[in-house]
Amino acid sequence: MAKYTKMAYDSAEEMIFGTAKFPVKYGRDFEVGGGIVYPELVPHPRPGSEETKKSLMREYERMVNDALERAVNLGFPGIQIELEHVWQMTKNPDWGGDIAGQTRKQQEDFYQKYGLKSAIRATIADNRKPDEENIRDCKSLELALKTFESSAANGADNLSMESVGGKEISDYCIVRQDIRGVLFGIGVLGSRDMEFMWKKIVDIANKYGATPGGDTDCAQANVAMFMAGGMLDKSVPHTFAAVTRAIAAGRTLTAYEMGAKGPTKDCAYEDPIIKAITGIPISTEGKSCACAHADLQGNLIAAVCDLWSNEAVEYHDMFGGTTPAVFTEILGFDVALMNTAIALGKAKDLQEMFINSDLYRDPHSFVVAPHNAYQIGQALVANNTDYYNRARAAAVKSAQLILADGKMLLSNFEKEVLQKTLRELESFPDKESDFIDQCVNAYKKVIPGFNPANYGL
Amino acid sequence: MEIDYNKIFTRYDLQTGEKEQPPQELSRDPGLREIIDCVVMGDIQNITEVVQKNLKTKDPLEIIYRALIPAMEHVSRLWEENIFYLPQTLNSSDAMLIGIEICEKKMGKAIEKKGVVITHTAEGDIHDLGQKIVNAQLRAQGYEVLDLGRDVPVETVIEAVKKQRPLMLTGTAGLTINMDAFQRISNLLREEGFDIPFACGGGGGVSRNYINSLEFGIFGKDAREAPKMATDARAGLTWLQIRERYNE
Amino acid sequence: MATVDLNSVFVRYDLKKEVIEKSVSTSKDVLLQAVITAVVDGDEDAIPGAVNAAFAAHDPMDIIKDGLVKGMAEVSRLWDEGVYFLPQTIISSDAMLAGIEICEEKMGKAMDKKGVVITHTAEGDIHDLGQKIVNALLRANGFEVVDLGKDVPVDDVISAVKKYKPVMVTGTALMTTTMTAFKKIASRLTHDHNELPFVCGGGAVSLEYVNSFDTGIWGKDAQQAPGMAEDAVSGKSWSQIREKYNG
Repeated sequence: MAKYTKMAYDSAEEMIFGTAKFPVKYGRDFEVGGGIVYPELVPHPRPGSEETKKSLMREYERMVNDALERAVNLGFPGIQIELEHVWQMTKNPDWGGDIAGQTRKQQEDFYQKYGLKSAIRATIADNRKPDEENIRDCKSLELALKTFESSAANGADNLSMESVGGKEISDYCIVRQDIRGVLFGIGVLGSRDMEFMWKKIVDIANKYGATPGGDTDCAQANVAMFMAGGMLDKSVPHTFAAVTRAIAAGRTLTAYEMGAKGPTKDCAYEDPIIKAITGIPISTEGKSCACAHADLQGNLIAAVCDLWSNEAVEYHDMFGGTTPAVFTEILGFDVALMNTAIALGKAKDLQEMFINSDLYRDPHSFVVAPHNAYQIGQALVANNTDYYNRARAAAVKSAQLILADGKMLLSNFEKEVLQKTLRELESFPDKESDFIDQCVNAYKKVIPGFNPANYGL
Repeated sequence: MEIDYNKIFTRYDLQTGEKEQPPQELSRDPGLREIIDCVVMGDIQNITEVVQKNLKTKDPLEIIYRALIPAMEHVSRLWEENIFYLPQTLNSSDAMLIGIEICEKKMGKAIEKKGVVITHTAEGDIHDLGQKIVNAQLRAQGYEVLDLGRDVPVETVIEAVKKQRPLMLTGTAGLTINMDAFQRISNLLREEGFDIPFACGGGGGVSRNYINSLEFGIFGKDAREAPKMATDARAGLTWLQIRERYNE
Repeated sequence: MATVDLNSVFVRYDLKKEVIEKSVSTSKDVLLQAVITAVVDGDEDAIPGAVNAAFAAHDPMDIIKDGLVKGMAEVSRLWDEGVYFLPQTIISSDAMLAGIEICEEKMGKAMDKKGVVITHTAEGDIHDLGQKIVNALLRANGFEVVDLGKDVPVDDVISAVKKYKPVMVTGTALMTTTMTAFKKIASRLTHDHNELPFVCGGGAVSLEYVNSFDTGIWGKDAQQAPGMAEDAVSGKSWSQIREKYNG
């Protein structure tokens, strides 16, 4: 496995939305990162529709049609649709496969009739339970792999996943503000599990001519981010969540080292760091995913995106049409503005606006801003000797950056948390094996289901 | 500066392109051709004169069934294919109806209609443009339309159904708050023992979900579907079968 | 980048409310005070020393009541006032439970719990962090928790209810398409004439949905769970609890 040891870009300045160093072409005349931004629409079925395969397929047929129809009606050049699996679609490989096939037919129809460019991302559900079963040999893994196959065979262009390795540790440690456990659960265990999973996913993608897309630390860093929440929330400190994000970059990078080509997963807020390191096109989500969750980087996170997503919207009627149609419209005009800025030679101006809107709104937006993401990426590749050291270096860098910028205002409590976190990070052993020994001993005691063998330890 | 708009939007509407309009083999008779052209072009200025001229040599029924109706069928097809826009279609429908009226006058009696459809716009709602379009579509396809107008009390609708025994009832509403009237109509239809399709459609708030929660309710996506649903009702399909065909 | 006035762009409301100093003096007895301090600081390592030292002058039940539980009450107050964040509360709860375990060993029996609560995460859902937090908060408030874990089939919940006779059941779900299991559980329970309060929450789970079936009470956040369990113990029916929290 080739590890990234240098940056794809010479500077953060060079990074811009719509263009990636290594564009990806697939689907129906669809190129991501090749000069313009496309919308990525993610529809979600209503509760109850998952009862039978027939009703779920019908639900998807309607949702996809509404999105494609709106795209043509408003003149959008292209669209990617994500099939983000509800567990029934992965638990029954034929469900996931048939829905991918049906979506492909719909997209082909719109392509032939109107020339609407399009592609499908299939995101297979990771239903493995790290603290209850052998995640390298269990029924959920077997079904997930079968569903990757059925999806790719039926026309999914991009295979993605939100893998959950190390979640049993990070869940325990995020709510205890334990940075050691977060670094271990995400940086070490998460990465090791991704190495295992992504070898398999890349093999399947290659077998069927699909593109291995990407992964996201949704199960861990997003837990910290959502729990940190907004300005009034007092669940998880925001500075702690921001450092967790930097750690997640080390973990998520593993997919691309294993051969994933992107575009990356939309909910991976660590993606600006990934793009800086790899040059792979990224999908991000911000203000127009308010249907799914609130976050504090609504504009900023668009700064270097190549696909622009709504995360997930449940199928319902609105005055303006059904939700897939409405959110296709919102995303479509968001990217029309970006593409107009590109066409007018003002992309950097718009990017500056995106960034300044949210840079100092919260430490989380601060660390994923391109210039900070770039520096975190540099720290990561400079220490890419092992999973532990690179994630730790990214974490240390993120904490230092937040503390060093006087405009990034923090409450006393938040500042204390960050300083303590930084001190702890600096106190950990330098050798990965020492750190792993320390953590295995510590967490085996408090997390009864934790099984190091799940991670080849 | 020169901007490449292709990267910003795509004009799908230009790509569909305008196709040949004039009716080709609808009729070889020069007189009937004139009538057909009038209907297809929606020429309400000249239709009267052209029909009257033809009535001197032709039977009124021949004019209706070999010119006016085939021409309108052609127009419907053009609309279906997105070649004609709505105003062209409505003008054609007006022209056809003028022609039929003249022919009926000559015969001294009305031609036989395919059946009665009652249309209305919901109680509390004064936006009846959608209903007017439905009316025109139904008439153009040979149905007799009883137009109850707009802001129609629920009781009036039920009375009309009792009196006319229509093939089908339609309801139009612009806003969700007025849809409640549809629910009451559905209830009353059941109480009175009627079993007819109740096709509802309209503004953004009128959803398939809601309409399908009503007994007899069939959701109409656009006015074009109305004559097709009426045809199904005429062919003996139940409201449930019609719902399955259009809403499932 | 240019220096810009961002006041018109966003307001940092989180900075406006700087926190109040925490006050920890809640016992005049030095030995008990040491126990309280260890709990308030979430210092699990200090607990064995403090608790064992307190045995010199106090019996285990008093240490639980006037030391451990009292310390935890102070933590709850600090959390309510926004001084503490969730992690501080969780590690204090860990410390308190460690102390209780030592006291129970000394007594040779478990302390009386207020009642049993069964918790689970819905079938098809492996996101059980919310449930874990609920567990910790219930335990910190003296309830016995039967943790069924995640991705739990409806049948398992029903048989656990028969076996443990809880005062309340909770269900957590992240996705709307997994929360449909809650309705099935509720109807199975009511069919067996078991009208237990069934508290459901998490992710996309909505008040509207949970209130659409009998016994369902919507939980807005984990913090509400202990209060609801107290109400159930005090004999309130599910409809009274629903009225109080969801009405």
